[in-house]
Amino acid sequence: MKRRIKSLEELEKLRNEIKAKKDPNKPTIAICVGSGCIALGVPEIVKALKNDITRRNLIEKVEIRETGCLGSCEEGPMAIIYPEEICYFRIKTEDASEIIEKTIIGKKIIERLLYKDPNTGRTVKNLKDIPFYKYQLRPLLEKNALFDPKKIEDYIAQGGYSALTKCLFKMKPEDIISEIKTSNLRGRGGGGFPTGTKWQTTKEAPEDPKYVIVNCDEGDPGAFMDRALMEGNPHSILEGLIIGAIAIGSQQGFIYVREEYPLALENISLAVRQAEGLGFLGKNILGSEFSFNVRIHRGAGAFVSGESSALMTAIEGKVGEPRPKYVHTAVKGIWNRPSCLNNVETWANVPLIILNGAKWFRGIGTKGSSGTKIFSLVGKVKNTGLVEVPMGITLQDLVYKIGGGIKEDKEFKAIQTGGPSGGFIPKKYLKLPVDFDELDKIGSMMGSGGMVVMDEDTCMVDVAKYFVDFLLEESCGKCIPCRDGLKVLSSILDDICRGGGKKEDTQIINDLSETIKEASLCALGSTAANPVLTSLEYFKDEWEQHIKEKKCPAKACKALINYYIEPKKCQACLLCLKECPVNAIHGDKDQVHWIEQEKCTKCGACYDICNFNAVERISGRPVPPLPPNGTKPIRKKGK
Amino acid sequence: MVLLKCRHCDYKWDYEGIKEHYATCPNCRYKVRITTEQVDELHKRKMDLKIKNRYAVKNRPFKLKGIAGIVDGFVKEYNYDESMLIQILLKLQENFKWLPKEMLIELSKQLKVPLSQVYQAATFYKSFTVAPRGRHLIRVCMGTSCKVRGSQLILDILESSLGVKNNETTSDGRFTIETVNCIGCCALGPVITVDDEYHGNLKSFDIERILSKYK
Repeated sequence: MKRRIKSLEELEKLRNEIKAKKDPNKPTIAICVGSGCIALGVPEIVKALKNDITRRNLIEKVEIRETGCLGSCEEGPMAIIYPEEICYFRIKTEDASEIIEKTIIGKKIIERLLYKDPNTGRTVKNLKDIPFYKYQLRPLLEKNALFDPKKIEDYIAQGGYSALTKCLFKMKPEDIISEIKTSNLRGRGGGGFPTGTKWQTTKEAPEDPKYVIVNCDEGDPGAFMDRALMEGNPHSILEGLIIGAIAIGSQQGFIYVREEYPLALENISLAVRQAEGLGFLGKNILGSEFSFNVRIHRGAGAFVSGESSALMTAIEGKVGEPRPKYVHTAVKGIWNRPSCLNNVETWANVPLIILNGAKWFRGIGTKGSSGTKIFSLVGKVKNTGLVEVPMGITLQDLVYKIGGGIKEDKEFKAIQTGGPSGGFIPKKYLKLPVDFDELDKIGSMMGSGGMVVMDEDTCMVDVAKYFVDFLLEESCGKCIPCRDGLKVLSSILDDICRGGGKKEDTQIINDLSETIKEASLCALGSTAANPVLTSLEYFKDEWEQHIKEKKCPAKACKALINYYIEPKKCQACLLCLKECPVNAIHGDKDQVHWIEQEKCTKCGACYDICNFNAVERISGRPVPPLPPNGTKPIRKKGK
Repeated sequence: MVLLKCRHCDYKWDYEGIKEHYATCPNCRYKVRITTEQVDELHKRKMDLKIKNRYAVKNRPFKLKGIAGIVDGFVKEYNYDESMLIQILLKLQENFKWLPKEMLIELSKQLKVPLSQVYQAATFYKSFTVAPRGRHLIRVCMGTSCKVRGSQLILDILESSLGVKNNETTSDGRFTIETVNCIGCCALGPVITVDDEYHGNLKSFDIERILSKYK
C-alpha cells in the first residue's frame, strides 16, 4: 500500500475497505512471536504451520497471524485460535499438523495443549478463565493478539489512528493537554511525573524547534514491558507520539531503541516506514496543516543512556552521559531546545485516553495513580510473564493469584521492584497496594515495572552485591560519589560474601550510601544505594550471619559453601563424576562418590545433575568426614 | 554576521567569527560579550557553514579508496551528519565485527569530529569493540531474573570450558564471551545468545551441546 491519505474521509474509506476484505469468522491462528517465544523455537513452529497449510491448499482459508508478546512466557510458545478463542500452550513443532487437522478443520479441541490448572487438574479453554489472565485488566496488552505488528492494515482495521484524527480535526492542542492532565497519567518510566504537566512545560517553553522523544532504552535488568509493546504494537506508540507532537507543537520526534532488542527495532522501523507511506507522518498529515517527522536512534548498550539528559546527549551524537539538570530537560533538552521525553508505555496510553476519555482512565487504579501498569513478573514465581494490572493491586495478589505462588512451593523471601534503583520488599509488606507513592514510602520504588520474586534460595547480600556491581560497571564515571563510592561499597560487600566481613561494616555501608545518595549527579547514582539499604534494613539477620558466623543461609555465596555428597543417598550412578569439569569427584561403579574439596571449583554441575538429591550444599559447618574407600551404596528399593 | 560594540572603547564592528561567548575587540583587544540573541544568529551561520561543507564533501571530484572508501560509503548513508556518529559506529561494528584504529581515524576525518570524541564513544558503549572478536559471539544474560535463576554458574562453566574469561576471545578465534545486562527474556532465565540465536532455560549440562553446534 503506497497511496498517501489526504483527508479524514479517505482514511475512513480505507478502513472500511480493509474491514470488508476481512472475514471475522475466518479461522486464524494467532501465534506469539515475541523474543521470549523465539528463544523457545517459535520460528520453526510457524514454518511448520505454514508448510502444512500449503500442503493442504488452505492458504486462502486459514490465516496465520504472527503477533507480539501475549504475556504468558512461562507457558510459551502459545497460540490463540480464533474465532473460538481456544488457547494452546507449550506447542511443539510436531503439534503443528495436528492443530490444523483437528482444531482448524475438525473443530475439535486438543486437550493435551490446553492450560491445566495445577490445583484442580481441570483444563481451561479460554484465555479469560486462566488464573494468570483472570485477575488482569489489559487495555494495552490485549491488542497484541489482535493484529500482526508488521501490518499497518491490521492496526487500521482495529480502529487505529482514529485517536489521531480526533486530535487533528476535532481538538485544539490545549484540549489535548487538559485531557491528559485530567486523566492523571503519570510517567511510566519510573519517575511518575505527571505527563500533562510535562507537556505543558515543553509547550510553554519559549524556544523553537521543540522535540518529542520515545524512551525505549529499557536497561533495567528483569524488565521487558517496553520491548513487548514495541514488538507487539508499535503503531500505538507512534500514534501516541504524533498526538503528543500535535499538543506540544513539535515537528521532529525521536525514538530511542536499545540495541539489544533487534526485533523491537525492526518492527518500529517498519511501522515508521508504513506510516510515512500512508501519510500519517511527513508533510501535511492527513491533509491538515500539521507536519511531523520521526527519526529512529539506536542505543549502543549503556544503562545510563536511559536517563533523560543522557539519552538526549546520546541523540546529539555524543557519549550518553548525564548532564546536571539545573534547568529541566522539558525546557532545555536536545541541542538546548525544549524536549519532551516519555516512556514507551506512557505514549502507548495516550491514544487510549483520547479515545475513551480521561474519565475512563481515572476510573481505573487509585486516587494518586490512575490507569493500568504493565509489570514483568519474573524470578522464582510459577507463572512468569507480562502482567497488566490496575494500579493499587496488592503485591500478594500479584505474586499468588496471578503468579501462582513460588516455584516448587518454596518460601517467599522478597520481591525486588524498580530495577537497580529500587529496593527489596519483604514478606511483611505483601499486603501493600502497588502505586507510585506507596512503594516510595518503604524505600523501594515502582520503577519501570520489573518485579523479580526471590525465594529462600536467594542470598540477599549476594543480590545486593550484584546490583552494586551492576551499577559500578554502568556508572559513566562523571561524578566521584557514584564512581568511587560504588567501588568502595562493592569491595566491602565482596569481603562480606567471601567471609571476611567485619563488625563495623554495616555502619560504613550506611554512611557511604548516604553520601552517594546526596552527592551524585543523576538518578543512577542517587538511587544506587537503595538495594543495599533496603536489604540491610529488612534482612538484618542474614547480614549478621554472613559477618559473624561466616554462614550463608541461602547457600548462594560461593566462598561460604561446600559441596558434599551424602553417602546414604548416593547411588553410585557415575553421572556427576562424568559431569565434573575439574575431575574433583572420585569413586567408581558400585562405590559411593566423594568430592575432593581442594579441587572443587563449586560450579554446581553435580548439584544440578544428580537425580537422587545426594549432592548437598553446606554452609557454616565443616564438611563431614569422608566415607571409607570402597563403601557400597545403599540401593533404593525398586530401582 | 552580527554588529558588536566594545564596552571599553565604544568601537563598533561586524563580527564574522564563529565563537559563541566572547569576541575580542580589534581596536583595544578588550573581550566583548555576545548576547544570547546574537549567539543564535551565529549558531545559524555555523549550521549554514556546516551544510555547505557537507555539500562540498558530497560532490568530491575524486573517489576514495581503501578504508577511506569503505568508511565513506557508510558516512554518505547518514548524510555526513556528525550527530549520527553512534549510528555510523553501530553500522561499522555490525559489518566488520570490530572497529580497527584506522577506521576510527578515517571516520573522525570525514565527519570532522575530534578523534578523542570518536574513541570516547567507541569505548564507552558496550556494543563496540576495538579488538577483533571471535567468529561466534556468546552473550550471557546477567539480568536480575537470570541471576536469581543461576546465570553466574552458566558463565563460570562457559569460562572454564572455553578457557577464557569474560570479554575475551578463544585462541582459535571461535568464540568470544560477553555479558549483557538484560536481553528481555527474563521468563526463560538463565539465557544465553549465540549469534542472535537464543537458548533459554539452561542447565549446566546443556552448555557442551550448544557449543558443539557452532564451528
